[in-house]
Amino acid sequence: MPVISLVLGFLSAAPLFFAIGVNPILAYQQVLGVFLSVDGLTESLTRGIPLMLASIGLCLPFKMNFWNIGAEGQLFMGAFGATAMVFLLPESPAFILLGSMMIMGFIFGGLWGLIPAYLKARLEVNEVLTTLMLNSVAILWVDYLVYGPWRDPEGFGFPLTPMFPLNARLPWIPGTRIHAGLLIGLICAVIVYVFLARSKWGYELKVTGESRLAAKYAGINYLRLTLLVMLISGGLAGLAGMGLVSGIVLRLRHGISPGYGYSAIIIAWLARLHPLAAIPVSILFGGLLVAGDALQIGLGLAFATALVFQALILLFVVGAEVLTRYRLVLTWERS
Amino acid sequence: MKEIVKRFPGVVANDHVDFELRAGEVHGLLGENGAGKTTLMNVLYGILRPDEGEIYIRGEKVDVGSPREAIRLGIGMVHQNFKLVEPHTVMENILLGLKEPAFILDVKDAANKILEISRRYELPIDPKARIWQLSMGERQRVEILKALYRGANILVLDEPTSVLTPPETKELFRFIAQMAGEGRSVVFITHKLDEVIAISDRVTVLRAGRNVDTLQREQLDKTRLASMMVGREVLFTLRKSAVAVGEPVLETKHVTVMGDRGFPAVKDLTLTIRGGQILGVAGIAGNGQRELTEVITGMRSIASGEVRLCGKEIGRDSISHRIEEGIAYIPEDRVGVAAPQGLTVAQDLVLRRYREKPFSNGVFLNQDEIERNAEKLIKEFNIMVSGKDAPARTLSGGNLQKMILARELSGRPKLIVAAYPTRGLDVGATEYVRSLLLKQRETGAAVLMVSEDLDEILSLSDMIAVMYGGEVVGTVPATEANVEEIGLMMGGSLRKP
Repeated sequence: MPVISLVLGFLSAAPLFFAIGVNPILAYQQVLGVFLSVDGLTESLTRGIPLMLASIGLCLPFKMNFWNIGAEGQLFMGAFGATAMVFLLPESPAFILLGSMMIMGFIFGGLWGLIPAYLKARLEVNEVLTTLMLNSVAILWVDYLVYGPWRDPEGFGFPLTPMFPLNARLPWIPGTRIHAGLLIGLICAVIVYVFLARSKWGYELKVTGESRLAAKYAGINYLRLTLLVMLISGGLAGLAGMGLVSGIVLRLRHGISPGYGYSAIIIAWLARLHPLAAIPVSILFGGLLVAGDALQIGLGLAFATALVFQALILLFVVGAEVLTRYRLVLTWERS
Repeated sequence: MKEIVKRFPGVVANDHVDFELRAGEVHGLLGENGAGKTTLMNVLYGILRPDEGEIYIRGEKVDVGSPREAIRLGIGMVHQNFKLVEPHTVMENILLGLKEPAFILDVKDAANKILEISRRYELPIDPKARIWQLSMGERQRVEILKALYRGANILVLDEPTSVLTPPETKELFRFIAQMAGEGRSVVFITHKLDEVIAISDRVTVLRAGRNVDTLQREQLDKTRLASMMVGREVLFTLRKSAVAVGEPVLETKHVTVMGDRGFPAVKDLTLTIRGGQILGVAGIAGNGQRELTEVITGMRSIASGEVRLCGKEIGRDSISHRIEEGIAYIPEDRVGVAAPQGLTVAQDLVLRRYREKPFSNGVFLNQDEIERNAEKLIKEFNIMVSGKDAPARTLSGGNLQKMILARELSGRPKLIVAAYPTRGLDVGATEYVRSLLLKQRETGAAVLMVSEDLDEILSLSDMIAVMYGGEVVGTVPATEANVEEIGLMMGGSLRKP
């Protein structure tokens, strides 16, 4: 079924390519080239890292029907927290600096997640609204910093911090851009999986996801559970932010994330909220992003075209996912 | 209906069932939960399509493809769960889905027609009232009017008396007799033996998807019907042994609890239950019983007063603490609250106890212990389920309640709060549930049982408290109980402080 939907998605893009005067076969070649080359695969992995961390984190709140749309903001706050460490301890040895960056990335992302959690649990404030609006706050806060006090004096006025020193960079696999964030992501996937499947809180999550009244009846403390879950979820998104500034971009800048936090929602959903499944789905999604790049670079297509292509693929994949839950029954009458 | 077969994954709900309905007859359809009665009628009403079999209406073979078809054929159905839109008015609900009037401008004719039907069958209703303002009995009248407005001459009523008070039930029976007198037919689905004997011309008993037999009015006998339903001899009176009464287990002192509408649902209520006692709380639903059970178990906060368990004040404690202290709670809402449907049976069986050792060590859950517990309880309580890992939603009503009881009673509770524990259950399950409660009583537990079944209250309780308007208007020992007096107290006309 996923294969069919992918093929259909590809085919549906053909009229799009025709319309802008491009031979669709060439476009497909570019895209396939991504998956058939080492460079393409490693780049997909790289792009997949922040997606992985954020989507693994999202599995938790979604399972209890807490709609955390704030992964993007939590990511930004994590990036901010990590960058702050670089400014505070620029001379420290790598493992201390990187360690504190990870901790701060997690804490800041987690704190950002605690705000909507508390508001929901105590005052029944709709979490979709709070998480969404806090995204804007976080993004603008980072903008303030990179346009203002943290701007690189040698950056020609662009909204970015100075380049991070070597001791602030995550180790990477030579020849590629894959950084240690991948390892962190894989470890987190396993931890979150065990948390969900075996721990007391995993059970409480399941019950709360079924019904809040049933959870109350079971003696579950909704406030404590929500706070814990959002701390972890925000924290993981924060780690994704830390990975971005410390592993790929090597500085904090405006638009550090092109919507990874939102894409993570789709990935978590496609992975059916299973943290281990989020790994391959994130990598595939990373591949989709790289394919979009390939179309732009290889064929000179506009950014918008690449976006439409990605959107079409997603539309078909998500649509197919819904269809797998139903069965077509063919009946005929004997006349 | 001939040789109707309807299969669902894993079960044959209707197994070659024949059913015949004559004009002008009241036909009772009797059976345990899961016997196939509602399924059979859903097939008639077009909600389900039969896998095999044929339906003939007035001699003509028909294919009922949808409820619209059924309505066109003159079949009307009043379901157990009303299909009414609460914010809309009575008239809007009755007219819902009809082609005429095409626009809500032309309602004068419709309103008159509704009032005329309402008058003719003595079903008083105000077409302009909104559904949420109406009592259950009044809502049922709207459902009936809906069917009559569409010209139903075959009326199917699914467990209609489960939401009615005794006087309302009498009214319903009068209406049914009137319908039959006009030559229309009524199918009365129920599991209540006394009622079906009172009004039916014929009774068909279904068991495990098969039609056991159809009896004529003269042949109707309670014991015979019960054993047909269950397939074995059924005892109607449980023997209650004398039990030494112990110290007070539950004491509520001047408890006031706020309801959902902003005014007190429980007012200055004081009662005591001792170990080894069953206190039956009688009263018409909606007089504070639910809120009382909720404040004792912690599901609702207390406005003022004290709740003491074995002398300790617990009225403001968390629910998890109350569970720890030994309060078992069997709530009215089984599916939504007490047994989340998406969990497995094994998971549901530790729903309130998962924090205890050995099920959890503080962080991780011990799967082996949870499974062992599930196997033990399934066997001990004879819960019919395909396996401990089956999802809870596959359990039938009676087995779901057994599962809830298995969980709540296995922790050796001091106090058991049971709200309508046998509602909707068939004879076999009801007997079992009641015997479980009596057994708990014998081991010294205190039981607070809210029930709308006066027979149940009279036979199980040691003390009876009647609630009206959020207060206890009378407390009598069961041995001195007088049904008329209790009825008056339930209606608010009598107080026995």
